[in-house]
Amino acid sequence: MPAASTIHTLIVDDQLSMRSLIRTSLQQLGFREFREAADGEAGLREMIVKPAHLVISDFNMPKLDGLGLLRAVRAHPPTAGAAFIMLTGRADRELVQRAVQFGVNNYLVKPFTVAQLKDKVEGVFGPLT
Amino acid sequence: MTDAADPFEAIKVTFFQECDELLGDLETGLLAIEAGSADDETINAVFRAVHSVKGGAGAFGLEDLVRFAHVFETLLDELRAGRKPCDPPTVKALLRASDVLADHVSAARGQAAPVDEARSAALVAELEALTHGGAAPAAIADVLALPEADEFGFRPVAFDFSTLAAPEPAAASGWRVTFRPHARMYAKANETALLLRELSRLGPVEVALDASALPDLAELVAEEAYLTWTLDLAAVVDEASVREAFDFVEADCDLTVEALSDAPAATDAPDSAPDLDIAALLARATAEAPVIESAPPVVEVAPVVPVAAPTAAATPAPAAQAAVTIRVDLDRVDRLINVVGELVIQQAMLAQRVIESGLARSSGISVGLEDLELLTREIQDSVMAIRAQPVKSVFQRMPRLVREVGEMTGKRVRLLTEGEATEVDKTVVERLAEPITHMIRNAIDHGLEMPEDRLAAGKSGEGTVRLAALHRSGRIVIEISDDGRGINRERVRGIAVSRGLIVEDAVLTDDEIDNLIFLPGFSTADAISDISGRGVGMDVVRKSIQALGGRISIASVPGKGSTFTLSLPLTLAVLDGMVVSAADQTLVAPLTAIVESLTPRPGDVHYVGGHDAVILFREQFTPLIDVGMVMGFRDAALTPSDGVAVIVETESGARAALLFDAIQGQRQVVIKSLETNYRQVEGVAAATILGDGRVALILDVDAIVANARRRSARPELKLAS
Repeated sequence: MPAASTIHTLIVDDQLSMRSLIRTSLQQLGFREFREAADGEAGLREMIVKPAHLVISDFNMPKLDGLGLLRAVRAHPPTAGAAFIMLTGRADRELVQRAVQFGVNNYLVKPFTVAQLKDKVEGVFGPLT
Repeated sequence: MTDAADPFEAIKVTFFQECDELLGDLETGLLAIEAGSADDETINAVFRAVHSVKGGAGAFGLEDLVRFAHVFETLLDELRAGRKPCDPPTVKALLRASDVLADHVSAARGQAAPVDEARSAALVAELEALTHGGAAPAAIADVLALPEADEFGFRPVAFDFSTLAAPEPAAASGWRVTFRPHARMYAKANETALLLRELSRLGPVEVALDASALPDLAELVAEEAYLTWTLDLAAVVDEASVREAFDFVEADCDLTVEALSDAPAATDAPDSAPDLDIAALLARATAEAPVIESAPPVVEVAPVVPVAAPTAAATPAPAAQAAVTIRVDLDRVDRLINVVGELVIQQAMLAQRVIESGLARSSGISVGLEDLELLTREIQDSVMAIRAQPVKSVFQRMPRLVREVGEMTGKRVRLLTEGEATEVDKTVVERLAEPITHMIRNAIDHGLEMPEDRLAAGKSGEGTVRLAALHRSGRIVIEISDDGRGINRERVRGIAVSRGLIVEDAVLTDDEIDNLIFLPGFSTADAISDISGRGVGMDVVRKSIQALGGRISIASVPGKGSTFTLSLPLTLAVLDGMVVSAADQTLVAPLTAIVESLTPRPGDVHYVGGHDAVILFREQFTPLIDVGMVMGFRDAALTPSDGVAVIVETESGARAALLFDAIQGQRQVVIKSLETNYRQVEGVAAATILGDGRVALILDVDAIVANARRRSARPELKLAS
């Protein structure tokens, strides 16, 4: 049972409001360590400089989309083991299949509630304390 | 308006700010598509804009907005995938949809009236028809329903902490420092306690002392070093920072620094490595993905369909590096501007003192002061630049207006915009929207002809309205022109006569007739329509431009069209002024209003009706106004030949001579609102603080001239000879 406060999270979304929303929701779940990036490429840079335990990334972003970020993270040994939760605008079967192919840990459809986010994170990390 | 206690409310505010940007991107993208200059990434960006609006709206439970955005997004998705063509009717519908989407955003924000439901519904139907080719659309209600988590039989992949090859240091991790000073470290007067204090700045330190090497007292050599410390630092910092604490003693001690627990030495990697990694990783991330041969076991429900390999198109072309920006509260900027204003005043006061002290111009203080003046001016310009905004935010609202007015009038209109990046003070930008909107409506409604009339006149059936912004001699100039029929001078003249604005036999130049439309009372009753009527005449437009310290003029050629030119100051915070004195008062006249100045000769001044003075200026009798008198600074009129006459031109083009005692000089002054600090005073636009610390009033030239005219027997139009 990992403590939420020990999980370092990287939030990747091109919208500031979405990043704030995810961060605020995670804070309510006890998360304390966050970094943010505004597109996939910036997210990848963050991961390489300093790996995070958990990446929560939007799918549709400029420069490098969420799928591209997932692939790059998985292809880089120091970050390959990070948990990756993909945010999608809708339940798109094809997208989820491709994300699974590239080793996504979980996915979350927008809009989401704090409870849904908790379910998704706990689905990966187990019950949080 | 924001509930600071609720973080989600604050995020909502951010979301709406983002919506403004997204809607701007959307419109820009759609216009590019309409113009045929769009690539795949444009369509993608358009899709993403609507998608992002929908996503955020969903998060905040703005259901109407989500519903509309969803229908919009669905059609865009079809276009993006190339399943539907981006033909002109579709693009037109998309443009109208972007208008309605903006309405939905405004309504959700509580800024505007509820959305026109009928219009919204009609557009939803149209978008759905375009999406489904007329077939029955899927129920929209599905959009709002949250999908089941395991809809695709997806099973979350558990995270295994042990698989993370180089996990990030856990919060508790840090560094273990072993520190054994040599005797010479003490000899150089270094103190272990100070080093520990330095280290503890980085984070909590657990100190363990190893005194095992300490000999018995009898054998102790006072100058020798015997102690070793083990210091556990609990801080996520890099090794160099830890070593830095021991920078000065490193040569005089044994020092080891090792990572605690699994803390990685991530920072040991050279800085360039991430770039190399990123290039390689990006290449891999965007390379052809292997086609799924069979459905991955976790996707149990999914039929076995080979998923199309993501091609290069899936990865957008690298967009131009977006400008790095920060959001700053406007209050902070204004406070800064205020302080810089004070600085300018203080600097002027200092300069004045130096002059008064009789110091030589070449003295060190004078030279230094000149440099300070240059720097102050530079700071002022830079600070003003912070408030400057491109006029784009106003210009980009116009395509929609043109579409709507064009539709209402049945005219075909093309809008050309130029100089959208031209920057001007934020307040000016905001207050420009209304007059520009009004003039564009006018240009389409009154200026442009119906398509058939245009064709008959040998013009293209589509009229052109051009909106341009440019900088010209320290001011911003905005031009609104159309290629329509031009001003109907006969009619304008007729209206002016019937409203009693001019006498029937007045001799007017074409230019003067055109300018009649700005006169208050030039009711556009005959021309009022749903579009440009709204009870607002051009005099109101002119007033709002004047309130910004600007002026407006018109040039018109019959059959060819009209051009309205607005000239505005770049900022409302400083003003180039002429410092003058009247009675014992120091006043400032805005330099923009001044035409020239002269010393009246006794024979130049005449009195009409015994008291109204006029001065012969360039062979024209111009009213002479004794400012000291009209402002109530003195009771007896100044003998004109003892003073200086400053010829001013009002925004309406009327000229008058203002009589002052003397001219002190030209200066840039910081505008201080009189209304905020005192109250509005007739004839006074604002106040400023001069170099000597005195408050000087800035004259409202237009009001002074208008008052003087009112006082004289009959408001006499300059146009009547």
